Amino acid sequence: GKREKMARAAKSALVLCMDVGFSMSNSPPGEEPPFDQAKKVIQKFVQRQVFSESKDEMALVLFGTDATKNPLDQDGQYQHITVRRQLMAPDFELLEEIENHVRPESQQTDWLDALVVSMDLLQKGKYDRLNIVLLTDLSTQVSSDNLDVIIGNLGKLGITLQFFFPFPMEEEEHNEEGGGGDGDGDRRGSSRPGVGKGLSREQKQGLEMVRDIMLSLDEDEGLDQVYTFSEAIEQLFMFKHIERRPMAWPCQLTIGSSLSIRIVGYKAVTDEKLKKMWITVDAQTSKRDDVKRETVYCLDDDNETEVQKDDTIQGFRYGSDIVPFSKVDQEQMKYKHDGKCFAVLGFTKHDSIHRHLFMGSQTIKMFAPKDDEHAGVALSALIQALDKLNMVAIVRYAYDRRCNPQVGAAFPCIKQTYECLVYVQLPFMEDLRQFSFPSLENKKFTPSESQLAAVDSLIDSMMLVEEDENGQKEDMYKVHEIPNPAFQRLFQCLHHRAVNPGTPLPTMEQWLKDALERPSAISERCQAPLEEMKRKFPLKAVEKKKELKTGAQIFEPDAKKSKVDEEEEEFNLAKISEGNVTSVRARGLCQQLTHRIEQLLSNRSTHYYMKCITCIQTFREQSVKLGNADLYNSYLQSLKKSIPNSGLQVFWDLLVQGMISLFIGEEKKEVETEPAVDDAGDVDDLVSVCLNSSALKYLMFVS
Amino acid sequence: MFSVCVRSVYTSKIISSHRDLVALVFYGTEKSKNPRNSFKHVYVYHDLDEPGAKRVQDVEALRGERGARLAADTMGSGEVSLGDALWCCSNLYSDIKLRLSHKRLMIFTCMDQPHGGDSTKDRQARTKAGDLKETGVVIDLMHLMKPGGFDVSLFFCDIVSPPEDESELGLQVEPCGKLDDLQKRVQAKQQKKRAMARVNLCLGEGMNVAVGVYANAVTARKPSAIRLYRETNEPVHSKTRTFHTQTGSLLLPSETRKAQVYGNRQIVMEKDEVDTIKKFYDPEIFLIGFKPMEKLKLHHHIRPSVLLYPEEQQVTGSSCVFAALLKKCTEKKVFAVCRYTPRRNYPPRFVALVPQREEVDESNVQVTPPGFNAIFLPFADDIRKLDTPQFPTASDVQVDKMKEIITKMRFKYRSDAFENPVIQQHYRNLEALALDMLAPESIEDFIMPKVEQIDRRLGPLVDEFKELVYPASYNPDSKPAAKRKTDEKKPKVEIPEAELRAHIKNGTLGKLTVPVLKEACKQFGIRTTGTKKQELMDALIAQMAK
Repeated sequence: GKREKMARAAKSALVLCMDVGFSMSNSPPGEEPPFDQAKKVIQKFVQRQVFSESKDEMALVLFGTDATKNPLDQDGQYQHITVRRQLMAPDFELLEEIENHVRPESQQTDWLDALVVSMDLLQKGKYDRLNIVLLTDLSTQVSSDNLDVIIGNLGKLGITLQFFFPFPMEEEEHNEEGGGGDGDGDRRGSSRPGVGKGLSREQKQGLEMVRDIMLSLDEDEGLDQVYTFSEAIEQLFMFKHIERRPMAWPCQLTIGSSLSIRIVGYKAVTDEKLKKMWITVDAQTSKRDDVKRETVYCLDDDNETEVQKDDTIQGFRYGSDIVPFSKVDQEQMKYKHDGKCFAVLGFTKHDSIHRHLFMGSQTIKMFAPKDDEHAGVALSALIQALDKLNMVAIVRYAYDRRCNPQVGAAFPCIKQTYECLVYVQLPFMEDLRQFSFPSLENKKFTPSESQLAAVDSLIDSMMLVEEDENGQKEDMYKVHEIPNPAFQRLFQCLHHRAVNPGTPLPTMEQWLKDALERPSAISERCQAPLEEMKRKFPLKAVEKKKELKTGAQIFEPDAKKSKVDEEEEEFNLAKISEGNVTSVRARGLCQQLTHRIEQLLSNRSTHYYMKCITCIQTFREQSVKLGNADLYNSYLQSLKKSIPNSGLQVFWDLLVQGMISLFIGEEKKEVETEPAVDDAGDVDDLVSVCLNSSALKYLMFVS
Repeated sequence: MFSVCVRSVYTSKIISSHRDLVALVFYGTEKSKNPRNSFKHVYVYHDLDEPGAKRVQDVEALRGERGARLAADTMGSGEVSLGDALWCCSNLYSDIKLRLSHKRLMIFTCMDQPHGGDSTKDRQARTKAGDLKETGVVIDLMHLMKPGGFDVSLFFCDIVSPPEDESELGLQVEPCGKLDDLQKRVQAKQQKKRAMARVNLCLGEGMNVAVGVYANAVTARKPSAIRLYRETNEPVHSKTRTFHTQTGSLLLPSETRKAQVYGNRQIVMEKDEVDTIKKFYDPEIFLIGFKPMEKLKLHHHIRPSVLLYPEEQQVTGSSCVFAALLKKCTEKKVFAVCRYTPRRNYPPRFVALVPQREEVDESNVQVTPPGFNAIFLPFADDIRKLDTPQFPTASDVQVDKMKEIITKMRFKYRSDAFENPVIQQHYRNLEALALDMLAPESIEDFIMPKVEQIDRRLGPLVDEFKELVYPASYNPDSKPAAKRKTDEKKPKVEIPEAELRAHIKNGTLGKLTVPVLKEACKQFGIRTTGTKKQELMDALIAQMAK
């Protein structure tokens, strides 16, 4: 795969400025105090920055504090404002500091003063972006004397602001296709509770000032940067705002030999993966260095003779033959090309490109370079012409010389504030799986009119996009605004384990659970149509043979269930060793276990061997516990005898390596332990399907 | 001619599915060679086996005039009895101890009346063909052009397998007449239709429809290399073992744990905890609701889509619900938003289920299967925020000129029109090495713009357009700014330990470049396997913490 070079952009700086004054702890009974919400927002944000290993620096300013600690503290000015942390890369200390030291205090401070202190912090050091995030309930009387000066300075320094309040700014404001960014403009759907409640005079006045500030900084979109606490927790607005912009890919779009247009590409959408993978550490010491992995190469002879890696070369299968083909030769003979390119092969009708045949894991947006107006006009002509003709360009795209060239489509994309081409990779002939399936226009499956009517009303009841009174289309379920739950959950657990070692992992956060569920309005509405569907369509599950079995089920005295199912059956053996077994009587257990082992062994695969070893370990442990070694030892003795004839040497070697001592009452030395090799590596991979992206792909598409 | 076709069958089999067993049998030969020599005039040139380079060379030897002579010497030509040939083939199949999943017999011939109207022989051949078909053998006719035309109806229509029945509507290709077609046909890639997953499409509590998940397209890669022992070229296998560095004893998975390092802190988890973190739901496709088609954004693409098709064998009644949903979604122009968990311990993704109606071509061959295409939708994390530059938009004159250019370069796009030059070249190279060819066959790079043709077609349009959009002084081909030459040999940079420690302490290690970090690793004797910056940094931090 191609590795994206990290943008060597300067880092950005951000001040988290949070109101901890006494009004923040006030809340109607049954509702979460604004303070708690605001703290969660900050934690979530810092957590995300820590786990993304962001180099962006962050400071924490609290206001409404009992103490005063800030550089502007002079002559009784700027009181009750505390700089908790100077600009630094966020880390676990900051997370711990927030967890343990950010608590409700009893003063009230002018939030404009706190803003000034935050601005002051940003003036030290060189950063490419300056941001201030202000979280407050606006309950304090504010002196607006210097508002103009403050606004002027914010503009001059290029500081962007984001405000977070416990309540929404407007009753309901829609902003379809706001342009900019990639959120398609139409972000933020549903209104939040707490709107109708009357705001205090101070809060209303505060909102007016916020509006003034934001609109003077950015006339068009300023108000887009005002959020509620709950929005902030559930979505990534704050994070998105300061996120580093993707790398630019400058190139020329060429049509034939003499027409070229300078363009710059940016990844717009991509299957984002976590940067870190799990490493293996020793269970006792937790040290990575204590664990070593080694790969050896063996001949396929009886002795499995080891050979040095340097004595091996690579080859490829050609039918029943294997053709030696060294890396050097391969490199020399391989397909070579001229490198970076975005060349038009021709133009075709938009509808001849099938959405379901998009390839790759990204879309790239192509613009003209910022400073090149001529390129801008030329590209605009192409985009407009394509759009009007309802056509797309088919292009050859190569990222650079080292990367394989692709064929793809460049679609015109015209938004209110910008135009661009959207590039998506298309398949090669070799990629296509042109499977055919039996037609569903089959008398057996043709739905009746009443069945179709049931489906019709189900769909109507489950429409996620509806027009409101004003004819505005409201989308109540925007997947592209949900943070990836896998990341959220992992960060939550890592954060917890880092800050509270030794305690069990927390449950999933409620907001995340809710975000992944059907909206409650839909659930209610579809109730009746769904019941109708159930009545109209009889569905009957065919008895399944391959069910997930727990340890308890395996040991059920059911001799009829003998044959091990080929592939898919999975035994949760972890559960066996975790005590289910202790309740089973020893002799019965022994029988079941050995029976099971026999079955597993008949599969001749490392995967099953490991399961067997776990079985045998359990057997051993239980025998020791029950003080009855005879059954175990004699079984193992007979197993050992049978090995040479059954061709299970590999398994036996694995077993010998895997057990601390094989027989009960014996030292390991007494058992012949040939330094045989094993396939434990494979097994390790099976047990811990890591966060590796290629592994993921493999699981998705190959198996 | 025959040898060209047979060679192409062999070479394509070798590439597409080398495990398949192939035999080559000649009939109407003078000499006989078959297992029990019970058939006259049938010559088994290659027995059923996995094909390799040798066979391709064997077939190649039969090419041309010299090949014809060789064939005449070894086999000669004699009486034709297709019945005997088919009988012999059926013996070849039954001699194989393995269970064969597909059996296919291709008859290459240019004679539409092989027995010259001998009705006994014709009848015998028909009977044998019937027997073969009964045992599951599919008989294909690969006939060549014959002066006056090859008339299938004379004889062969009774020999070849009939079009497959309704229950398994396969791609039935008309027998082909031209060598080109023949070659094209046998070179088609063979991909087994196999579901990637079988899950329930859950419409709501108690309403589960079983579906299979199939790939629409998968990025094809070069096959992976096999490691060989240098001395003998025999394959070696690798074994990986995990052991304790200090004691040297082998470590079982249960004796290790998993960890990640963030901000100088190692966070350790049990393996099953790592799994639990990834577990959200049991495998299923859970319906959230529906949206109008226009809400599906073109650029919201993160991975190739998959196709859903009902699995009647798992839940009876599935096909009917599925068909009804498909019909109604198409009519109402909506797609379904679903939460998809492909397997256990796998975090969910959301998909848009877009209805796809079945399409057949004029000869009733399915070109698009019925089903729902599941388009993977991005999460907020997958969408990058861009600073979009703003430019004046083009004028109508400029746009119109570009329209002329576009119209001149129109073509009909087909998704199977472009071969991957990287893979094709690799296969040609392999073939050349395996068959001792002097040089690999050259490939055609289908994704190279045909510049000359384009220039010719566009003619003066290019200059006219340029005149409209570019001032005379502007040259779009000039490089904006000289690039920094970073990959020129740089003096190796060593970094003092104190400085390194300071970086680690201040969390500013990331400021160092990868080469500097690598050098530092070497300096402190850290063996690094990774080349990722983060891995280097982690290794250094770990080393310095000792």
